[in-house]
Amino acid sequence: MERVRRALTSDHAIGWVFVAPSVLLVAIFGLYPILSGLWLSFQKASLLSPVREFAGLENYRAIMDDPRLKQAAINTIYYTVLFVPISILGALAIAIALNRRIRFIRFYRLAVFIPVVTSTIATGIMFLWLLDSTYGLANWALGGIGLGPFGFFERPSQAMPSLVAMTIWGWLGFDTIIYLAALQGIPQELSEAAAIDGAGRWSTFRNVTWPLVGPATLLLVVWSTLSALQLFDEVFFVTKGGPLGRTSVVVFYVYRLAFEQGLAIPLAGYAAAIAYVLFLVVLALALVQFWMGNRMVHYSS
Amino acid sequence: MKKTWLIAPLLFALVAAACTGDDGDGGDGGDGGGPVEIVLWHGYGSAQGEPDAEWQSLLDRVDEFNASRSDIRVLPIRCCTNDKALEKLTVALQGDEAPDVTYQYGSSIPQLAAAPSVVDLTEWSQDPDVDWPDFIPGAAAAATYEGRILGVPALIDNLAIVYNKELFDAAGVDHPSPDWTWDDFRAAAAELTDPATQTFGFAFPADASEDTVWHYDPMLWQAGGSILSEDGTQAAFDSEAGVRALEVLRAMAVDDGSMYLDLQNAKIDDLFNTGKTAMVITGPWALSAYPDVDYGVEVLPGFDGDHQTIAGPDMWVVFDNGEERAQAALEFVTWFTAPEQIRTDSLATGHLPLRISVIEEPGFTDELEGSFPGVGVFAENLANVKQARPVIATYPQISVAMGEAIVAALLGEKTSQQALADAAEEVNGILALPA
Amino acid sequence: MSATATADQLERVDPAALRGEVGMVERRRRRWLPFSPWHLFLLPLAVVMLVPMLWMLVASLETLDQTRHFPPILWPGTLRFENYPNALRAADMGTWFWNTFVVTATVVLSNLVLCSLAAYAFARMRFLGSKAVYFLLLATLMVPLQVVLIPTFLIVKSLGLIDHLGALIVPNLANVFGIFMLTQFFKTLPVELEEAARIDGASRLGILVKIVIPLSAPALATLAVIQFMWTWNDFLWPLVTIINNEGAYTLQLGLAQFQGAHQTDTSLLMAANVMSMLPMLVLFLLAQRYFVRGIATQGLKG
Repeated sequence: MERVRRALTSDHAIGWVFVAPSVLLVAIFGLYPILSGLWLSFQKASLLSPVREFAGLENYRAIMDDPRLKQAAINTIYYTVLFVPISILGALAIAIALNRRIRFIRFYRLAVFIPVVTSTIATGIMFLWLLDSTYGLANWALGGIGLGPFGFFERPSQAMPSLVAMTIWGWLGFDTIIYLAALQGIPQELSEAAAIDGAGRWSTFRNVTWPLVGPATLLLVVWSTLSALQLFDEVFFVTKGGPLGRTSVVVFYVYRLAFEQGLAIPLAGYAAAIAYVLFLVVLALALVQFWMGNRMVHYSS
Repeated sequence: MKKTWLIAPLLFALVAAACTGDDGDGGDGGDGGGPVEIVLWHGYGSAQGEPDAEWQSLLDRVDEFNASRSDIRVLPIRCCTNDKALEKLTVALQGDEAPDVTYQYGSSIPQLAAAPSVVDLTEWSQDPDVDWPDFIPGAAAAATYEGRILGVPALIDNLAIVYNKELFDAAGVDHPSPDWTWDDFRAAAAELTDPATQTFGFAFPADASEDTVWHYDPMLWQAGGSILSEDGTQAAFDSEAGVRALEVLRAMAVDDGSMYLDLQNAKIDDLFNTGKTAMVITGPWALSAYPDVDYGVEVLPGFDGDHQTIAGPDMWVVFDNGEERAQAALEFVTWFTAPEQIRTDSLATGHLPLRISVIEEPGFTDELEGSFPGVGVFAENLANVKQARPVIATYPQISVAMGEAIVAALLGEKTSQQALADAAEEVNGILALPA
Repeated sequence: MSATATADQLERVDPAALRGEVGMVERRRRRWLPFSPWHLFLLPLAVVMLVPMLWMLVASLETLDQTRHFPPILWPGTLRFENYPNALRAADMGTWFWNTFVVTATVVLSNLVLCSLAAYAFARMRFLGSKAVYFLLLATLMVPLQVVLIPTFLIVKSLGLIDHLGALIVPNLANVFGIFMLTQFFKTLPVELEEAARIDGASRLGILVKIVIPLSAPALATLAVIQFMWTWNDFLWPLVTIINNEGAYTLQLGLAQFQGAHQTDTSLLMAANVMSMLPMLVLFLLAQRYFVRGIATQGLKG
């Protein structure tokens, strides 16, 4: 009897009880659909037709020969490499600035958060105007200091950096509030001790702040990478993959295949195959980040 | 303590959620005695919080139908914006939640052909009550895929020049005329371009979507070219005619600088309304977006006297949700697209009439023009609709290839020749794949 | 660097250091600006962040004709406040707000509860298969929604939830991001408190509720705000699951009505969007209360 009681109250049992509701929900609504989609990737199918033709690895092989997919993949990597570091470092800097008790701080925090809740469409309209090469404010301002005019969304080579700028603007607030929450958790006595020891601002940052927001940094690095590799909304609503496919990213390409081009022609399976290759890439990256992160990140002792 | 505080509202919300939305299930149809309920999906919008003219007209006609029939009830649902209609329909079809009648872009017909429950209207179209030949040929052709009629025309339009009279007068340029050539057009655009006021002669949708392509197609056709070869196995737009057509556009964009390129296809109407561009090539739906402009409408410029234009029909598509509902849907559609209803809708909304008999009614186009200035020209321009784009399964991919070719030329990245040749190569590859 | 401080040391430290302005201790007396220099950074930043919102506000107060301008008119002359009541009048704005509120409140509360439970288990407890389960959960974040849209739809349909608010609630009751985020945060809490309580015989649940949760106020507040935002703004999922039942429309679905077949009623759309943003902003301001430092040290005194 004692054994049973101990088993039931052991960490194993309780651990499972705690995670059970979430795991059940995710298993039904998250894992099962993913497996279903995986099955689709081995078939030739159209989302409109019940006809399914088993195709083995054919879809996966076709991935190698798709020039538009290659372009989308390169664009996605380019985007991620720019977006992740800039948005995370920027967010940390802003969070530190927002972690004060000066006047209007609530207003500043709200201002930083507002872009996150502004609809993608409204953001898109605004940026399309700001960065318009003829009528936009950006070129007008830059022209005033002798730079430009730039093409931004209108030149193939400048479209992606412009997209990066627009999405960073839209997401900084998200990363920032997570860092803000993390900064609240830094025990005060650490900062005080540093002050007593005469440490300067930068030294405190390097030795106190940065290590202690490590967990948040890991969270954001993994999450931002995940999101960046799966970018969709801004491309769908604003740039539409252009000009000339230079802002077409993998998920956008997958959507087009599954819901536009691949209805009359059975391409949904191919689209799913691409998505699963992307999945493997994302998974591998996340595992690497976790592994590196767990070695570098300092959790409380 | 904390947990109970959270759980109570949670339970309340779950109960509220379960209870909400019990009304208004989508039409189970007549259960022995009640009217057969059919669901109609559309994408019309609102103006100032009320249904706009198009939506109101639809509601009025549906109400009229419902009042006249006790055995059928039509339930109009604003399902989505039209650009999401196909996606939502796709998901709904997978779950057997499809409507009975839905509004779709004409270009979706080949896609929808893959859906097993789409109703083949070929037999229905032969019913004399339907009077199928009375529909504008361009629209009827777009509804036909591989010999099967899969849609009923819901909307038709075409492309023509809309121009700003004030800007023309201010620059001393003659207004467009019915026998303008593309050279005339180009010359006028150049003269109307003024860098000092940041005004352009012409604005063009350059997002490489079908909107870009269908602006180019009439020019290609006028020059004597065609999109695909006769047998549909090869691209044909990279011909001399194709290059000639694209050259006009490229020259305006790159050499003259008289063309504003809207690479996201979001600004053209507003630019025109602000007086920043003197001409646009667009359709009748856009006229209400120009409240601040004294505009004129003229047929497209031509090559060698050919002024043909292009039409972009949208369709009502019927789905089979059981014999009773399908039958009811067909009866509704027959009534809904009869000449009388077409006429009423046209005069209420400015929609171009879908039936020849209505256009040819004496005084009709004048009445239309009176209520909707400019629309009369578009209605008459329907006579210039001679060809349609290929209604084939691979068209979306062909569109992408052509669209990118056009934009590449307009951006100055490729010559017209090279752009079209590259696109033709890609299209040939697409057409060569087994169906 | 000593990580502990005695009570007298705490009293002797300059309040400026306590506010986190470490390094400014000496400079404080020699300010050459009448306000904190941080404003020089934060104010321009705030302006940059707010500019598009400003456009939304201006457009919401213009007439529809005035919005049909490019470049946009930023100074409309007269302000048309009627757009707001007009937008509210639009069909079922009240129903949309209520539906969205019910769905969002339920999802947020559920996430706070379920994600805390799961995150605590992952952060502090060793149990069979925990690592594998954790990664499986994370893996679900790695496949884009568009790919799993239809299978998920079919599951929801088989549960009979289509056209009901349940379709919007049930799949979102536990969000993996929430689990991920809270796990990371819980791991940063000093484990001594919990160990002390365990020695005293407290149950795991008791520790979670009485110790960990109070210390995690900032993280929970953040999760609440984020989850609220995601659920409130969700468009694609409601679009495909609420099919014929207009009584179950959420705000985002209803607002799409302002985008007509050919024209968009931009002024009304922006007015509606501004109103739709307000609850989120209110929640954000309320959540600010939980961003108070010092809670973490309460347990360490004495």
